Amino acid sequence: MGDDSNGEDWMLPDGTDGDQARMAAAVSQGDRDAERAFVERYLPRLRALLLARTRNADLASDLLQDVMIEAICALRRGQLREPSKLTAFVMGIARNLLNSHFRAATRQPDSLDLPDDLPDLSSAASKLEDEERESAAMHAIANLETIDRTILQMTLVDGLKPGVIAQKLMLKPEVVRQRKLRATRKIIDFVRGRSQTSAAIHLVTRQKE
Amino acid sequence: MKRCTGTPAELCGLPYIEGTLPEHQVELFETHFFECPVCFAYLQDLQAMQAALSRFPAEKSDIPVRKRLSILPARTWALGAAAAILLFAAVFSFRALNLGPKRAPIAQSTPPSTSPVNPQEQANPASSASIRPSQLADLALPPFVAPNLRGAQEDAQFESGMKDYARSDCRDAVAALSKVPAQSEDSRAARFYCAACQMRLGNLTEAAAQMHTVAAGGDSPQQESALYYEAQIALANDDPAAAHQYLMQTIALQGDLEQKARDEDRKVHEFLGEQTPEAPEKPETVAR
Repeated sequence: MGDDSNGEDWMLPDGTDGDQARMAAAVSQGDRDAERAFVERYLPRLRALLLARTRNADLASDLLQDVMIEAICALRRGQLREPSKLTAFVMGIARNLLNSHFRAATRQPDSLDLPDDLPDLSSAASKLEDEERESAAMHAIANLETIDRTILQMTLVDGLKPGVIAQKLMLKPEVVRQRKLRATRKIIDFVRGRSQTSAAIHLVTRQKE
Repeated sequence: MKRCTGTPAELCGLPYIEGTLPEHQVELFETHFFECPVCFAYLQDLQAMQAALSRFPAEKSDIPVRKRLSILPARTWALGAAAAILLFAAVFSFRALNLGPKRAPIAQSTPPSTSPVNPQEQANPASSASIRPSQLADLALPPFVAPNLRGAQEDAQFESGMKDYARSDCRDAVAALSKVPAQSEDSRAARFYCAACQMRLGNLTEAAAQMHTVAAGGDSPQQESALYYEAQIALANDDPAAAHQYLMQTIALQGDLEQKARDEDRKVHEFLGEQTPEAPEKPETVAR
């Protein structure tokens, strides 16, 4: 790494292990608020993981429910041996389910015992945030040069490699890579700018109230 | 402990959602973003972009993409050619009227306030151009972009060299970076930053050779910068023709340095006069 600050970029905030241990302990003791906090914290992250791994929103959504149910049930039964490793435990469940899914020809959704008193796994608030993000991204994409948009679509929707895209668009693979990175940065900057403005508006509104 | 600045997501986010990140890095990145709100937010933005792209009407039709993107309407070409002829005629007439037979060096047209001028040359403006190509050369050390993830195998010599580099200690950086084995994942980055240090130390021949190796090595995060710095070294050696060639190659990559290279190529072009064509303007995109 270039300097110490670069090395620390990968480090995690202090107190993470303690928070995890507290959360795991509370869930195992039947604390419903802790369960809700658990869902609020891990559901969006697991969704991101599953979406990246499957590249299929519907499948990711199905698997997400399974992972959350399995994790909550396991925590309720006190199956987590090291409470400070809650994140690793949850990720382990997600990876196991993913592996089982990819190994099996068909999924077996009835393999889980569904408890009645599960917390809400739909998370309407995060859904709204996702929609806002997507709408901002849509706006930014509309303002891209056609060629950049095409490169991004070929990469992220069609799953084509830069070499193939380069051939189709009569460009060099290096050019495809550079344009892809530049266009991505443009979109992310726009989406971030939007979300910061939106957060500021929320804050002002709340202060007025 | 310091808060993460989002570098991991900037480096790994896109390959992660593309599915091109190596498996061991995937696990490292997942472990990181589960705990890091900055990187997780970045990843969510990327996934929103991916979702939006899948909903955006694709540029698909029966016409092959390569054909559609390469064709501009004939009328555009005709208008462009006519404009170029008019512009050339206007410039030529203006020069004939104002300069007469005694043609001043092209670089003199640069305002004195914007270009550092040697007093001797100023006293005798007709003897040479008011600025030399070497005065355009940008030999500042390029910023370091960390290429590896925490936990990934990183060469100890590279790490040590880059710490020296971050302190602008070019001599120690060269000593350490030169020892990075060729088979190391960091070898190309090491060569690039080593070349930058050599450039900074004034060892321009060695710097040019190393930059050339990096640029000729093909697609890498350092390729574009290496070409750009080859141009800077050529300028420092008062070789605007070579600088122009390297700048054209930089521009052709259409990366982060494209605009910078274009701006510089315009200035370089003044030294070359009309012998060499300027870099073409950014291609117009085709309306959907």
